[in-house]
Amino acid sequence: MTLAQKQTIQNRFKLKAKTWERIDDILTPIVTLFILLALWQLFSAFNQNLPGPIKVVQDTWKLILYPFYDRGGTDKGLFWQVWASLQRVLIGYSIAAVVGITVGVIIGLNKRAYKGLDPIFQILRTVPPLAWVPIALAALQQNQPAALFVIFITAVWPILINTAVGVKQIPQDYINVSQVLQLPRGEFFFKVLFPAALPYIFTGLRIAIGLAWLAIIAAEIVMSGIVGIGFFIWNAYQNGQVSEIILALVYIGLVGWGLDKLMAWLQNKILPAQR
Amino acid sequence: MTFVTVDNVEKTFDLNGGGTYIALKGIDLTIEEGEFISLIGHSGCGKSTLLNMVAGLDLPTDGVVMLQGEQVLRPGPDRMVVFQNYSLLPWLTVRENIRLAVKNVLKNLSKEEQDAVVEKHIDLVGLRHAADKPPEQLSGGMKQRVAIARALAIRPKLLLLDEPFGALDALTRGNLQEQLMKICEENKVTAIMVTHDVDEAILLSDRVVMLTNGPESNIGQLMTVDIPRPRKRMEVVNHPNYYLYRSEIIYFLNQQKLVKKLRSRKQTVLAKHGLEKVNLEIGFLPLTACAPIVIAKEKGFFAHHGLDEVNLVRESSWRGIQDGIAGGYLDAALMPAGMPVWMTVGGMDNKPIPVATSLTLTRNGNAIALDKRFADQGIRTLSDLKRFLRETPDKKHIFGVAHVASSHNLLLRYWLASGGINPDKDVEILALPPAQMIANLQSGTIDGYSIGEPWATRAVVEEIGYEIATDIEIWNGHPGKVLGVQEEWALKYPNTHVALVKALLEACQYCADPANHGEVREILAQSEYLAMDHEYIYLSDEQQATCSVTNDSRQLSHHIFFGGSANRPSRTENLWLLTQLARWGDVAFPRNWVEVLERVCKVGVFSIAARELGLSEIANYSRGTIELFDGQKFTADDPISYLNHLEIKHDVYMADVMLDVAMPKAA
Repeated sequence: MTLAQKQTIQNRFKLKAKTWERIDDILTPIVTLFILLALWQLFSAFNQNLPGPIKVVQDTWKLILYPFYDRGGTDKGLFWQVWASLQRVLIGYSIAAVVGITVGVIIGLNKRAYKGLDPIFQILRTVPPLAWVPIALAALQQNQPAALFVIFITAVWPILINTAVGVKQIPQDYINVSQVLQLPRGEFFFKVLFPAALPYIFTGLRIAIGLAWLAIIAAEIVMSGIVGIGFFIWNAYQNGQVSEIILALVYIGLVGWGLDKLMAWLQNKILPAQR
Repeated sequence: MTFVTVDNVEKTFDLNGGGTYIALKGIDLTIEEGEFISLIGHSGCGKSTLLNMVAGLDLPTDGVVMLQGEQVLRPGPDRMVVFQNYSLLPWLTVRENIRLAVKNVLKNLSKEEQDAVVEKHIDLVGLRHAADKPPEQLSGGMKQRVAIARALAIRPKLLLLDEPFGALDALTRGNLQEQLMKICEENKVTAIMVTHDVDEAILLSDRVVMLTNGPESNIGQLMTVDIPRPRKRMEVVNHPNYYLYRSEIIYFLNQQKLVKKLRSRKQTVLAKHGLEKVNLEIGFLPLTACAPIVIAKEKGFFAHHGLDEVNLVRESSWRGIQDGIAGGYLDAALMPAGMPVWMTVGGMDNKPIPVATSLTLTRNGNAIALDKRFADQGIRTLSDLKRFLRETPDKKHIFGVAHVASSHNLLLRYWLASGGINPDKDVEILALPPAQMIANLQSGTIDGYSIGEPWATRAVVEEIGYEIATDIEIWNGHPGKVLGVQEEWALKYPNTHVALVKALLEACQYCADPANHGEVREILAQSEYLAMDHEYIYLSDEQQATCSVTNDSRQLSHHIFFGGSANRPSRTENLWLLTQLARWGDVAFPRNWVEVLERVCKVGVFSIAARELGLSEIANYSRGTIELFDGQKFTADDPISYLNHLEIKHDVYMADVMLDVAMPKAA
């Protein structure tokens, strides 16, 4: 066997090993999933109140097949339910992002503001989303704005705090450069401060999107009579349709996971690889 | 008007645990337009802090920094900084980084003009190919080039560089240094650079500012680097003064390290056996003349006289001895004969430090050596040398000596002057550490030297030079090396002082006995002392050598360690040394010379020591008139008319030397 042949075989072997690893990466979770489903099925045989996976699919077959149906009122396909929730999240989250970044920059730059406000923010940030619902409803009287407020108030803290920290942590070198060059405020903000704080801001945004999605489900469960995946679950519970609840949970999980991946992708796209 | 003025600047920092740390104190520095200045010092000496204060990034606690008469209160583009870690914005490309600076500083230019400036500076540092890359895709050297381009593009009045090449590999660093030098020379940039690289400082600077260690760092020394520009990195090292500059800076840095070490060491005074202090630090230079000190230690003479803990400190230059005694780090030291009077009358930075001597350790043992090239010209005598110098007026001839106050220097000058050669005008005399003489002679940096043994003999043995005159021919029996202590020390530890003189006097006697010569030479040859073959170490006239360069057999210079009046300190001799120091303008001649001699020559201590050793015959021996080879007589009666009588001399100054009143302090 010549050396060249030997190398080709080795290369082929290497390639094979790599493909195998890929396949392994995909197969392992799938197999694990099936094992878990099987366990669940087994468990449900002893517990009549919790339907097994097969029963769930049988019960909700229609909902799975027709996610886009719309019979008016709150009787809509799961896509529309999720879409309505997502819309609320996007609005509330956008407001939170704008307010959070702006206020974060201001208190990050102003030492006294940071000193005064930081403890308050640290306390408010630990208040659970659900606790905001009653006060939101009482103050705003209507379901829609109240839901937006709950999302906003949940998502704003991580954005705000991370931005403030990011602004405070700008390397002294960059500050020195801008001081020596006497950069005007606008130039300093957009060319130095904002890009330097961007990794921190993104971390905040990513945490916040998870929290916002969490908050909307909680908010919608309490606010009856609106279209949304949260209220859908609550409605299903009231009617004793446990299989529908389980299907909705799957949807919520998938959407939440998708949102996080989206933010991660955005972060990679926008943030240049630094240092 | 000076360009940059740093006036009495002080910087203190608040410490976490309360209290303050004084980083810099009393910094005074003026910089002319177009000058390149380096700040050098150990880590933590505050050199970057000083740079930041000039930049305006940091404000002095006290004092002012001025640029063209205007106080620096905040950072500005007229004082652009090239930061240590480049400080490029990673989200901008090379071009955008430079443009950001140009756009915001050169606002009066049109956009096209700004772009032209940006492109010109990209080309200036040779980064055309990388102009659109973000910094993280560049090597360290390229990033630093971007930082330099960015700094130069905005045409600062003053360029500040904070260890600009510290993080680069040697090759890149060398190339960048040359580029920077070229750019600075072409654009007449005034610059201040912080560095810890000695060669970099010499290569780039017009002046090197050496900072002492903190706390309270200040400017320890200012050195002008007089090497013509344009300079080339590979050629600068060949400049005759390059190694002089280099050793100057390295000496300074080493001295700072030593001071730090000595500061941290606990100084306790051990009193024992009725002596006030038995733990002594004694400084010496690796010369044959250090034999008595070495023998006193090795053969137990110190211990015999109760000095149990004597530590010998080997210095490489007389400056180390001088600074060690002045700073109090050394208790006593081997000194060239002229050093006690020289220090006492203020030879060191015009600050009189009373130094006493109570023992002459050696006489003779010095010689004037010339490069063997001179032998080929047939130069055998002083008059030959004078003729040769007259024939080659365009060439500068340089002689090395160990110290201005050493007898080598004074004898060399006396010898030259008596032959009609002005040592300051017809030749150049340079102070170099003794151990560097051979290397400098070989490299052609110096043409000859006057030095103590073994260095003159070594040139002969190694056939690179020859002795044109030995001290036997100039002034036989002249004082060579003496024991020196601060007068204050002598008054504080009188019994220790006598014990020290007794131990050394016995050691001198031991060294002078031919029966011991073999052993003494072996001991001196050891690595902790002279660290050279004992072949080079001559102790007596029995060892004759034929000089292979000139093929004549002559007596090589050698020392007298003991006998007759050899060891007694002499006022007349010290006065002669003083007249010679004044003759060459090193010090002013003290009007109160009687007082000076009284303070320097502790004849009493010597007499007590000699008598206690039972050597009363040498205790009272007195020297009369001094007569040198040219027949000139010197008596202690009228030194001033003697000085006036001398033909070749520098302008002689007279002054009153204010000496502190000597007060014995309680030990």
